[in-house]
Amino acid sequence: MPSDLDQQIEQLLRCEPISEEQVKRLCLKAREILIEEANVQVVDSPVTFWDMMELFKVGGPCPETNYLFMGDFVDRGFYSVETFLLLLALKVRYPERMTLIRGNHESRQITQVYGFYDECQRKYGSSNVWRWCCEVFDYLALGAIVDGRVFCVHGGLSPSLQSIDQIRTIDRKQEVPHDGAMCDLLWSDPDDINGWGLSPRGAGYLFGADITKMFAHRNGIDLIARAHQLAMEGYKLMFDKTIVTVWSAPNYCYRCGNVASILELDDYLGQEYKVFSHAPSAWSPADRKRTPSFPQDVRSIPAKRPPADYFL
Amino acid sequence: MDPNTSLDDIAPIAILMDELRSEDVQLRLNAIHRISTIALALGPDRARDELIPFLQDSVDDEDEVLLALAEELGRNFEEYIGGPEYAHVLLGPLENLSAVEETLVRDKAAESITKISAVLSQEQIEQSYIPLVQRLSRGEWFTSRTSSCALYAPAYDKVAVSIQDELRRAFTALSSDDTPMVRRAAAKWLAPLVKKFSKPHVLSDGLVIYRKLQGDDQDSVRLLTVEDLIAIAQRLSPPEVKEQLLKQIRQTMTDKSWRVRYMAASHFNELAEVVGTELVREELIGHFVQLLKDNEAEVRTAAAGQVPGFSKLLEKEVVLARVVPCVRDLCQDVSQHVRAALANQISGLAPLLGKDATIEHLLPLFLHLLKDEFPEVRLNIISKLELVNSVIGIELLSESLLPAIVELAEDKSWRVRQAIIEYIPLLATQLGKPFFDESLGNLCMSWLGDNVYSIREAAAVNLKKLTEVFGVDWSREQIVPKVVGMGQHPNYLYRMTTVQAIMTIAPSLTIEVVRDSVLDMLLQLAGDPIPNIRFNVAKALENIATSFGDTAAGRELVQNKIAPALEALKNDQDADVRFFATRALGKAQALEA
Repeated sequence: MPSDLDQQIEQLLRCEPISEEQVKRLCLKAREILIEEANVQVVDSPVTFWDMMELFKVGGPCPETNYLFMGDFVDRGFYSVETFLLLLALKVRYPERMTLIRGNHESRQITQVYGFYDECQRKYGSSNVWRWCCEVFDYLALGAIVDGRVFCVHGGLSPSLQSIDQIRTIDRKQEVPHDGAMCDLLWSDPDDINGWGLSPRGAGYLFGADITKMFAHRNGIDLIARAHQLAMEGYKLMFDKTIVTVWSAPNYCYRCGNVASILELDDYLGQEYKVFSHAPSAWSPADRKRTPSFPQDVRSIPAKRPPADYFL
Repeated sequence: MDPNTSLDDIAPIAILMDELRSEDVQLRLNAIHRISTIALALGPDRARDELIPFLQDSVDDEDEVLLALAEELGRNFEEYIGGPEYAHVLLGPLENLSAVEETLVRDKAAESITKISAVLSQEQIEQSYIPLVQRLSRGEWFTSRTSSCALYAPAYDKVAVSIQDELRRAFTALSSDDTPMVRRAAAKWLAPLVKKFSKPHVLSDGLVIYRKLQGDDQDSVRLLTVEDLIAIAQRLSPPEVKEQLLKQIRQTMTDKSWRVRYMAASHFNELAEVVGTELVREELIGHFVQLLKDNEAEVRTAAAGQVPGFSKLLEKEVVLARVVPCVRDLCQDVSQHVRAALANQISGLAPLLGKDATIEHLLPLFLHLLKDEFPEVRLNIISKLELVNSVIGIELLSESLLPAIVELAEDKSWRVRQAIIEYIPLLATQLGKPFFDESLGNLCMSWLGDNVYSIREAAAVNLKKLTEVFGVDWSREQIVPKVVGMGQHPNYLYRMTTVQAIMTIAPSLTIEVVRDSVLDMLLQLAGDPIPNIRFNVAKALENIATSFGDTAAGRELVQNKIAPALEALKNDQDADVRFFATRALGKAQALEA
């Protein structure tokens, strides 16, 4: 096994970006692996950059622990590029240990609005890296099922889908469409309603307890695990524990003050939610804000810690 | 064409010129980082006559490129142009760079000029360096005047007395410059310059410049004079300090800008050490108390950091009467940053107060801070307990603090738990075996089952260190059975911990213990249904093989038990298991050969 990839992983673990050429090769290799994967990945029993490091500290490093990440790898924090490339490098190095599924932010349109495009431009001086990453996005799986019993998806369910088998027939290798089954999987949210409702997001649907329980029953699953919505306590169980929202970005956008969690499944799919808060060493602009306009040549700068008002 | 100039001779500089004209910043940057190679290719004469003038004329507009050039020219570049006797030639391009708009470039240029000044002879200094300083000091634009401030100190003691007089006059002018940027630079560079002044000149010129800057209407200038104050006080006798600087000290300590008070607080001990004991007792103690009670949390944080250092200069009674009451208040401070800074420093008071006073005054504060709601505060206290231990002794410490420590060992912040774990081996050496087994033994094992990975990892490292403290026999009896026992657990995370703990501890055990008590469990786990466990078994076997492979018994173990198990894992259905098994087998076989 060539050690180039291991070296790149080391480098990314230090939050240092890898070269454009390396990104290109990594993306191509990732596509080779992802194209072989089904729309719904089968997983055996078992974020912003510094928070992902925190996540690895709480949950254990890869490959020691198997990970399934439920989308929205980018458009978050100052180190989206490093975060996504690290996940991708780990995916290529340990394809069996790491599962990545697509979130609504893994899309050309969304990343151009929410920052990933700008970040690639800023760090690499061209849009090549962004383009290659977007090509990888098109190959990411839409969902995953753990031991046949836990169904994982980024957003939620779709009125056009009754069974997991139907998801398997979607042609996923495309930009996220504006409507239809593929769009719904990435955009929908559970809500305290009956049946289906219009989503305020303008894409996907709201779905109620009846829909959720019906889907679970029909497909023989115990739990639907999804992300997509902020959960202040790190996770939120709904509908008699048939669906859970797992949120793994602590102090979202450097301001929400939420904690994050990892859902850990043991040999027998016993669930444990590991809650963690943001990394104390994480650099956040809020921590530096009320630094009075100091002359540049002063060496020690006292930093005030005001209530953050970024990203509002 | 001149027959002596072949194509080879022109090539290096032509390539450089081409690259320096490139559109691509990265290429220009690479070219700059290679100018020493180009100079070497050209030889000293042509480097001097062609390369340096070229660099001087072609001023790039990209700051990044300029910064690289400023840096390269300061890296002993004179070696490439004929040695120190030609070093002054480098000042040309650097003078241009000292006047550009970007601060980083100017600072780097000034730094390189300073480096070069070290190899210049007095003649070169007086003929090239001083005129450069004078040109920059009189520059029309504030940028060059700002840069010039940094260049006075390096040359001051290398020139004739008459030039020194001029330099002092010019620096005085800079300290009254119209733009605050220049005055800030003067305030920043006054301290190193004063150190070079003769004593009479400190009094006649240094003080005048300092007082002017200290009374500046910009607080960004005033805050930089704290270091000047220290430098000047260093050069004066305590009575002179009192006579000449008392007013300024008072003004600085009570400045209306918190940034100035912050600088004063963070440099407090340095100042206290140079003003003499009389002034410390009469004057500074009062200011220190005020800074500890300042309105701004930043100032209190900085002052809290100086508590033990300043208290060293005081008598014990004064510390108890004036400092300790403030410390008590700071333990209740509303800002957690203040409390964290205090927690980091408060232990330093213990050696100064002695056993009885520590028990009476400090111990209650330690207990209070150990219960602070912010993890960082608790952490800082724990990490400095050693100092307290040496004063009050382990028995008292464990009696009063151990319950609090045990409580923290179950703290909900995992970083606090981790800090406690790291403190355990130290505590173990101090407590001794029986006391340890009784009070902390179970705790150490329970961390292996923690739900945070980093804690389980730290717990294993802790057990390794304890093995080194208490010996292999103790480990075989107390640790190994419990670790091996977890290998039967139905949850794979516990089984994983067994494997990883064995991997960590094994090098500190003996081959007999590994062979008789540990290896069987590992080999059993090599057949675990979870692939993650199997490839960690492979890693652990690799670790054991490399740790003990240098003994005959170790090689036998590898041959009979480890290698066959790895051979089996090499054909595992999981790719990662195969990878780690193959790697381990390779290392094990390399040992045998």
